[in-house]
Amino acid sequence: MTGGYKLSYFLQQIINGLSIGSVYALMAVGYSLVYSIMNFSNFAHGGVIMIGAYIGYFCLTMLKVPFFIAFIISALGAGLLAVSMERIVYRPLRKRNAPFLYFIISAMGASIFLENIVIASPIGPTFRTYPPIFSTTPIMLGSVALGRIDLLMFIISAISLAALMYIIEKTKIGLSIRATSYSIKGSTLMGVNVDQVIFIIFIMGGILAGIAGMLFGMKYTVYPQIGNITTKSFIAAVFGGLGSLPGAVFGSILLGIIETMTSGYLSSQYRDLIAFALLIFVLVVKPTGLMGKSTEDKA
Amino acid sequence: MSWVYISGILILSGINMLTVLGLSLLTGFTGLFSFGHAGFMAIGAYISATMTMRMGMPFIPALLIGGFAAMLAGLLIGKLTLNLKGDYFCIATLGFGEAIRLILDNIQFFGGARGLANIPTEGTTTLTSVVLINVVAITFLVFIIKSRHGRNMVAIREEEMASQVIGIDVFKYKLMSLAISALYAGVAGGLLAHYLGYIQPIMFKMVKSTELTIIVIFGGLGSVSGSVIGALLLTFLPEILRSFYDWRLVVYGAAVILIMITRPQGLMGGKEISLKGIFNFIKKFINKNKDKEEVKS
Amino acid sequence: MSSVLSLKHVTKRFGGLTAVGDVSFNIEEGEIFGLIGPNGAGKTTIFNLITAIYSITEGEIFFYNKKLEKLKPFQIANIGITRTFQNIRLFKKLSTYDNVLTACHKAADYGLLDTIIRFGKFKKQEKELNDKTAELLKLMGLWEYKDMVASNLPYGLQRKLEIARALALDPKLLLLDEPAAGMNPEETIQLMELIREIRDKFNLTVLIIEHHMDLIMGVCDRIFVLNFGIPLAQGTPMEIQGDKRVIEAYLGKVEGNYAEGK
Repeated sequence: MTGGYKLSYFLQQIINGLSIGSVYALMAVGYSLVYSIMNFSNFAHGGVIMIGAYIGYFCLTMLKVPFFIAFIISALGAGLLAVSMERIVYRPLRKRNAPFLYFIISAMGASIFLENIVIASPIGPTFRTYPPIFSTTPIMLGSVALGRIDLLMFIISAISLAALMYIIEKTKIGLSIRATSYSIKGSTLMGVNVDQVIFIIFIMGGILAGIAGMLFGMKYTVYPQIGNITTKSFIAAVFGGLGSLPGAVFGSILLGIIETMTSGYLSSQYRDLIAFALLIFVLVVKPTGLMGKSTEDKA
Repeated sequence: MSWVYISGILILSGINMLTVLGLSLLTGFTGLFSFGHAGFMAIGAYISATMTMRMGMPFIPALLIGGFAAMLAGLLIGKLTLNLKGDYFCIATLGFGEAIRLILDNIQFFGGARGLANIPTEGTTTLTSVVLINVVAITFLVFIIKSRHGRNMVAIREEEMASQVIGIDVFKYKLMSLAISALYAGVAGGLLAHYLGYIQPIMFKMVKSTELTIIVIFGGLGSVSGSVIGALLLTFLPEILRSFYDWRLVVYGAAVILIMITRPQGLMGGKEISLKGIFNFIKKFINKNKDKEEVKS
Repeated sequence: MSSVLSLKHVTKRFGGLTAVGDVSFNIEEGEIFGLIGPNGAGKTTIFNLITAIYSITEGEIFFYNKKLEKLKPFQIANIGITRTFQNIRLFKKLSTYDNVLTACHKAADYGLLDTIIRFGKFKKQEKELNDKTAELLKLMGLWEYKDMVASNLPYGLQRKLEIARALALDPKLLLLDEPAAGMNPEETIQLMELIREIRDKFNLTVLIIEHHMDLIMGVCDRIFVLNFGIPLAQGTPMEIQGDKRVIEAYLGKVEGNYAEGK
C-alpha cells in the first residue's frame, strides 16, 4: 500500500464512521431525551425506528411519492407512534407512580409487540430494499469516495440534531425540558406542564427515530428486527453519558468511527463485538460515561 | 396427538421452567432484570455438548460443568456491572447475551454459525431426567428463599437503601442471585442441547431472553409456583395452538403491557400455591355466587 | 466516659452548595443527643454522612475512636450504627414480623450449603432469629400486629416498626430521623418513654433529629443546633431554650420566650 492509498483508506473509514455514527446519534439522542426526564431506558425506541423505516419504504414503493414527502411522512408517522405509545403504555404507569422497573418491562413488551406484529402481518419478515433514489456513483474528494447516501445521512442527521439542539437551548419549551430533566417535582412547582413536556420529548424522539429508520433502511435493508440496532445506540448513549444529549451525539460518532475502523482494519466480524467490548470498558472504568452526571441518591 | 409429541412439549417446558426458576430468583425475588439469560443457556449448551461429544464425559457431570461455566460467566458480568444503577445492569445483560451469540457465531471450534450437531440424545435428556432435575431445582430454590439469604434478596428488591442500612451486603446478594440464575440457565441449556441433538447460536437470540423474563412476569414476581405454572402454560399453549404460534410473541408483547398496567403482580400475585389458598379461593367463589342468588330472590 | 461518635470539622458540599459546613460535636456513651434546626439545615445530610450514604467532602467522623472511612453503608450497620428514615423506608409489602425477621440476619451466619441441608446449624439459628424477632416485637408493642402488612399499619406504628427493625442489629448507636413526625401529643409522650426505655434496656446511645420541641427538650441530654448547614449552638435543653440565636433562627427576630410559643 502506498502512503497516499493508506491515507485515503483511513479517511474513507473515518467518513463511513461519521455517517453511520450520525444515524446512531439520531437514535441515541431520542433515547437519551426520554432517559434524562423519565429516568428509564425506553427499550421500545427500536420499534419506532423500525416502523419509520417501513413507512418510508411503503411511501416510496406503494404511494410513489417523491422522496422528500416520504421523508416527512415517515418522520411524522414515527413521532405519532412514539406519542401513542407514551399515552397507552407509559402514562398509566406514570400516573400510578409505578416503580421504574415496570416501565422497562412494558417497554420490552411494546418492542416485542411491534416487531412481531410486523412479522405476523401480511408485511412479513422478508427483507425489503428501498428503491434506488440516489445514484450510486460516489462523489470523489480527491481519492476518497463519498457515497451519496452516506453524505445524505450525515447532512440530514446534522440538520435534525442542530434543530433539536436549537429547540432545547433557545426556546421556552426547551427550557421546560431542561428544568424537568433536573426535577419533575420542582419544575411542576414552577408551572411546567409535565405531561406536555413528556409529549414533546416523545414526539421529538419519535421524529428523530423515524428519520434514522428511513436513513438506515435506505443504506441497508428494511426488516422487522431493524430495531435491534438500538442496542448500539444504547451503548453509544452510555458511552457518552446517560442523560446527556451532547454526550449521546459524541458517543455515537465515536462509536461509528470505532466500528468502521475495526471492520476496515481488522475484520467485519468483529464490528459488532467491539461495540460490546466498549460497553464493558465504559461500565467498568467510568460508568457515567464521557459527559454524564453522577448523582448521589438522597436518603 | 401422540405421547411422543406431548412428552416432547413437556420436556421443552421443563427446560424453560428450569431457566425461569433461576431467573425468578434474580428478577422475581431480587428485583434485577436480565435481557441476556439466553446467553447463559448458550454457554451451558455448548460446554456440556462439547464435554459429551468430544470428551466422552457422562451426561450429568457434563451438564454440571456446563452449568458451572455459565455461573462463572454470571459472576464475571456481575462483578463488572452490579454496583451500577439498575438501567446499566439491564443494558449490560442485553450486551452480554448478544455478545455471546456473536462470539459463538465466529468460533469455528464451536461450529460457527452452523453450530454443533450429533449431540448424543439417547439416555441423556429424557422426561424423567428433566422432571427430576426440576424437582431438585425447585427444592433448592424454595430452601434458599425460606432462609435469611432469600429474605435478604427480597429486602433488596423492596427497598435497596433500607437493606444497606440494616447491614445487608447488597452487592454480594445480587451477585449470588445472578450466579444461581446463571447456573440454572446453564444446566437448562445443556438439557436443551441433548434433547434437540444440535445447537446453533441463532437459537439463543435476544428474543429468547425476553420470552423468559415475560414468563417470570406473567407468573408473578416473587412466586415460585407462578414461575412453574407460567413456564408450563406458556410453553404448552403456543405449541398446542399451532396456528397461534406466529402470533404468540405479538400476544406476549401486548400481554406484558396489559399486565404491567392492570395486574403487575402477575398470575400468582407474589404468593405461592397452598392447600389453604386453594380452599380460601373456593370458599370466596361459593360465597360470591351465594350473594348473587340472594340479590336475585 | 468514652466518646461514641465524634464529628471533627465535617463539611459536605454538593457542587457549589455547602449542605453541611464545619460541624463538630461529640456524643458520649448513653447520651440521648438531639440535632435540631430549621428545615433544610442539613440534619439528614449529617445522618447520611455518618451512615456512608454520602461521602464526606472535608473532615472526619470517629466511632469509638475509630475513623470511619471507605466504608459502605452496610458495613456501617455492621459495626453498630443503625438508623431510621425521615420518609419511612419499611419493606412495605412484607409483614411486620418479616420486616424485623429480615433485619435479624446478622445474628446468624449459616451459608448457602446450610440452607440446603437444613439440619443442625440452620434450624438452630433460624429458631434464634425467630425468638429474637418475637422478643423485639413484644417489647415494642407490635406483637399483635405481627402478621399485618407493613404498609397497612397506622402511621405511628410504622415508625415504631422502623425503630424495631433498626434495633434488630444490636446497634451501639441509633440514629432516629424525625421519629415523632405525624404523631399526636399522646403518641409523642409514649415515644419519649420508649426512647428512654430502649436506651436503658439495650445500652444504646441515641442521636435524634426532631422538630417536635417537646420531645427534644423532654428527652435529650444535650442538643446541637444547625442552621443552613452551619453550627449555631450546643448545650443542654435549658441552655438551648434560652439561646437568643436559636430563637431567632426558628422564629425570626421576635421577642419572647420560645418555650411558650410552639
